[in-house]
Amino acid sequence: MSPRILIAECDADIRELLEMTVRRLGYVPVDATDDSEVDAVLLEPACESGRSALRRFGDDAPPVVCLSIYPREHGLEPATSVAYLLKPATSAQIARALGRIFAVQPAH
Amino acid sequence: MSLGRRRYFVTFVALCGLGVTWGVMVAFDWVSKLGIVTFVPWAALMAFDLGALGGLCSAAAAATLYLVTANAQNVVLDNVQIGVRLGSMIVLGLGAGLAGDRLRSSERAQRGVAALQSALIDSTLDGICLTDEHGEILISNKPLRYLARELGMPQEGSVPERLIAIADRLAEPERYRARMRDLSRTTGEASLDEFELRGSGRVFRGYTAPVQDPDGSFVGRVWTLREVTADRELDRMRDAFVATVSHELRTPLTSISGFLEMMQEEEQALGESGKRYLDVIRRSTERLHALVEDLLLIAQIEAKRVELDLLPVDVVDLATSAVEGQRPAADEKGVTVEIVADHPPIVRADRTRLTQVLDNLVSNAVKFTNEGGTVRVHIAGKGDAVELVITDTGIGIPPDEQGQLFSRFFRASTATQHAIPGTGLGLSISRALVEQHGGTISVESAVGEGTQVTISIPATP
Repeated sequence: MSPRILIAECDADIRELLEMTVRRLGYVPVDATDDSEVDAVLLEPACESGRSALRRFGDDAPPVVCLSIYPREHGLEPATSVAYLLKPATSAQIARALGRIFAVQPAH
Repeated sequence: MSLGRRRYFVTFVALCGLGVTWGVMVAFDWVSKLGIVTFVPWAALMAFDLGALGGLCSAAAAATLYLVTANAQNVVLDNVQIGVRLGSMIVLGLGAGLAGDRLRSSERAQRGVAALQSALIDSTLDGICLTDEHGEILISNKPLRYLARELGMPQEGSVPERLIAIADRLAEPERYRARMRDLSRTTGEASLDEFELRGSGRVFRGYTAPVQDPDGSFVGRVWTLREVTADRELDRMRDAFVATVSHELRTPLTSISGFLEMMQEEEQALGESGKRYLDVIRRSTERLHALVEDLLLIAQIEAKRVELDLLPVDVVDLATSAVEGQRPAADEKGVTVEIVADHPPIVRADRTRLTQVLDNLVSNAVKFTNEGGTVRVHIAGKGDAVELVITDTGIGIPPDEQGQLFSRFFRASTATQHAIPGTGLGLSISRALVEQHGGTISVESAVGEGTQVTISIPATP
């Protein structure tokens, strides 16, 4: 079964873009309102509702790929973050970051 | 004693002297022997003190007193004698009075100018003082004394000593001490420095320069001091604003680039004109992205937040990849690009930042050179440093604009006339990064002939 990616992003256009991107990469995008199981999170750390979506996991948070308007030095990166990308990132960069989490590159 | 009171006092003394002299002359019957001469000093003193009109009156009174006394003591005088004595006394009184007036008015004028000058320098915002060749204060104004107290400077000693004494209260005491030591050594130059009080965030700007009299000989040094905390606060706000806006620009930029990428995958369905439009959008998006990155880098540089990751770097490698990166654009324009390396030494530098500088300079050279032109990158060792000279045969920069080249957002008129795109940030960023490496950058240019940019990077910053 394809890994499920939570899209924690405030901007509706970018949310739609990221959903399309992860779907093309072979993952299943999950909306922040959906409280089912997820395998990884694509997070905009500057987005308040994104961060609160992450909080519901408590200590058992899945790996996070940050995709932010702010550089890493702003200190918004959560503890479980495994990659930090600066917007605008290409779909290839997102693919690489997610691919590292699931060890194998999913089918394009 | 004030001017007015002194005058009354002198007149009083003169009157007493006149009275005593007259008394002695009458008592001892000396009018015939000593004559009017004994009245002269008292009358002259009184006249000098009272001015022209008072002097005339006092001289006339003294002469009359003499004539009356002489008459009472049966001293016989003929008309000529009377005329000469009366006349010379009056002339003397008038002269002494005029001399007194003249002296007083020039004294008043001098006091007036001095008072105006000190009122003037006391009323400005800047602290100002003049020191002699040893740095001892000759004149200072009120704001300077106030600022010196605010900074906790000692009340004694030469100005360099007083400045050094506050080093420990400042944000960067070592840098400040070194600067002040330089300053006390180089007496012939003007210098402008800013320093920040530790803890309070208050920033002060000091200026000093030699002062010369109209003949050009050294009189001393002028020192001015001004608090610029509000100016620096504005700069910080502006930089924070630029940084915030630039970060926020990343959100729409992400949507544009992301969906553009999606569209390009479906390019086949677009048709010829659709593809062309998409190409324009893509190029513009790239420019917008580069602009946002440049703005953020400028904000980081201004906030002194750019930290160099120093490693051994082969500048020839970086220059070669900068040249190769620009080759497609150069080929498209018909510009020849060549690189000549003369075994320069390895330097300690930040690879990413130095790449940024070289990309900037090489892309500028290609951008501003027309078809058939040449861009030449020459790299050579010069002592411990590496010198890179980027020469183009491009449109050039007018001489009167060359001084502003490194200012943020400045674009040469030759660039705007030819409608060559750019933001005016490249050279300003390049200079900041080169200087952070302890290097230098300079430009020589002639309109229509080309431009030569020289950068020098020391072996270690």
